Amino acid sequence: MTALAFTADHVAHGRRQRRNTCRRVIGCAVVALAAAFALTLTLGQSFTPPQVVLDVLLGKDVPGASFTIGQLRLPRAVLAILAGLSFGLSGAAFQIMLRNPLASPDIIGISFGASAAAVFAIVFLSASGAVVSLLAVTGGLAVAVAIYGLSSRNGVAGTRFILVGIGVAAMLESFISYTLSQAPSWNLQEAMRWLTGSVNGAQLQQALPLSAALVGFGGLLLSQARNLEALRLGDDMAAGLGVNVARTRLLVIMGAVGVLAVATAVTGPIAFVAFLSGPIAARLVGSEGSLLMPSALVGAILVLGGDYVGQFLLPTRYPVGVVTGALGAPYLIYLIVRVNRTGRSL
Amino acid sequence: MTHHRLFVQDLAAGYGDRNVFAGLDLDVLPAKITAIVGANACGKSTLLRAMSRLLPPRQGQVLLDGKSIHTMPPRKLAQTLGLLPQSPIAPEGITVSDLVGRGRHPHQGVFSRWTRQDDEAVAAALQATNTTDLAERPVDELSGGQRQRIWIAMALAQQTDILLLDEPTTFLDIAHQVEVLDLLVDLNQTRGTTIIMVLHDLNLAARYADHLVAMADGRLHARGTPGDVLTVETVRDVFGLESSIVADPLSGRPLMLPIGRHRIKREEVA
Repeated sequence: MTALAFTADHVAHGRRQRRNTCRRVIGCAVVALAAAFALTLTLGQSFTPPQVVLDVLLGKDVPGASFTIGQLRLPRAVLAILAGLSFGLSGAAFQIMLRNPLASPDIIGISFGASAAAVFAIVFLSASGAVVSLLAVTGGLAVAVAIYGLSSRNGVAGTRFILVGIGVAAMLESFISYTLSQAPSWNLQEAMRWLTGSVNGAQLQQALPLSAALVGFGGLLLSQARNLEALRLGDDMAAGLGVNVARTRLLVIMGAVGVLAVATAVTGPIAFVAFLSGPIAARLVGSEGSLLMPSALVGAILVLGGDYVGQFLLPTRYPVGVVTGALGAPYLIYLIVRVNRTGRSL
Repeated sequence: MTHHRLFVQDLAAGYGDRNVFAGLDLDVLPAKITAIVGANACGKSTLLRAMSRLLPPRQGQVLLDGKSIHTMPPRKLAQTLGLLPQSPIAPEGITVSDLVGRGRHPHQGVFSRWTRQDDEAVAAALQATNTTDLAERPVDELSGGQRQRIWIAMALAQQTDILLLDEPTTFLDIAHQVEVLDLLVDLNQTRGTTIIMVLHDLNLAARYADHLVAMADGRLHARGTPGDVLTVETVRDVFGLESSIVADPLSGRPLMLPIGRHRIKREEVA
């Protein structure tokens, strides 16, 4: 055997090992998500035996359980998973593209853009359903374009993009508060949704736009996964490797804003899920393969788990955004301290 | 083996409303090492960026085998023309062989699987840069010199006939600078790779390059063999520095000795 063949075997072996690790992590995440899903369906205020849950899922009419599970727990869990997948995917895409964990859409105001558009549509235009989703996507894209325009001078520098975004986020948040204060009658739960995100009062038909957005925009993102990986080496290096950087950026922004905004139109901007998913996935997966899928799964686990904790494990009921917000805030502080020191990226 | 030819024709490029250079022509010698030298802000990095399509031309074009690189599909171009920019970024936690494997990007499609050919290209790049032992190590843990060898390995895994490097020796100590340049000569001699690099150090450029291109104020001031280009006049015109040129006893190439205002024995200058 020649030295080259020997080294090639060695290289192939290492690569396969790391890819298997990546697959194992994805497998474990799917199992964990399924387990959490099963838990939220069976154990809430009361315990429902798995057999009964299964019966309800299969469409049998079980007195009592049909309502608890079919109308309350199932829509809530399904929506939590879909929103989590969307936020995780979108957050990781932005973080990878701009090579900075702070570049998450919930930090740089894109989530608030979608949320502000949704609130505006509901309060002032009395809109609902698809119109709200559409306006949310438009709002998110408009904010993305605005930040892009405000921060581009001789190309977009990551730091300026983030700082401009944080400013825009603060402005939009106050706009949301103002709009909410103008509404004729809001209960606290509804107001919380548009500020921190919640899956309260979820309905199964809301899952439809979310699934469609995940297939369309999410598919667009996954088609750019390889180019995104190349972008992690720097824009110049990626261009040297044959990546059309401008086109990749455009497609990624469209895809990421699309999934994010549609999900936000339903659940509100669930705090810090987009921000946390990518870095957590990166810790678990390592450097081989794309981070998009693992991040999406982590996002789903965060929202489903966070909602469960907020509902049942704390003295008072809290919307999911309060729980994920409490998780995310310390990490944000840690990150700002650390990024300033080392300047490293995701 | 026939080599790809890179030709710069009447090129203008710049940033904002300012042209860094205009009307520039350069015929890159195939299978040779070309070093671009010049003072800070003379446009040498801008030229390299324009030649590798990082910067769109304002006028003129860059031709690869007679075809404009600006209209070629990017992936196709990346199979022939490799690039090592000045400060590439290693993703956190990435291992050496994964990073080198990223060089295979232009050879892989969206759905195509990793092939034996890819593994062999990575293996050959690791061997050529003497980094086989580092293959499984995280890049974060490596020294600056080792890291630069890894980046060159990545460019090698791309298996391009032409390689552009923007100051490949910056931030390296002198031993590692020599190591990197030796590596590039190896590459040029064993694979016939055409190398074009921007270098800061005039003497290392004269030692290692077959062809020197001296730029000043966005113009090609002089080009040719190191012996032709590295003269007292060129150094004065390009760098505004008085110097004395001697023959390097080790290589026979010219060696530039700067004349500053201090520490010079007066009779030497006269």
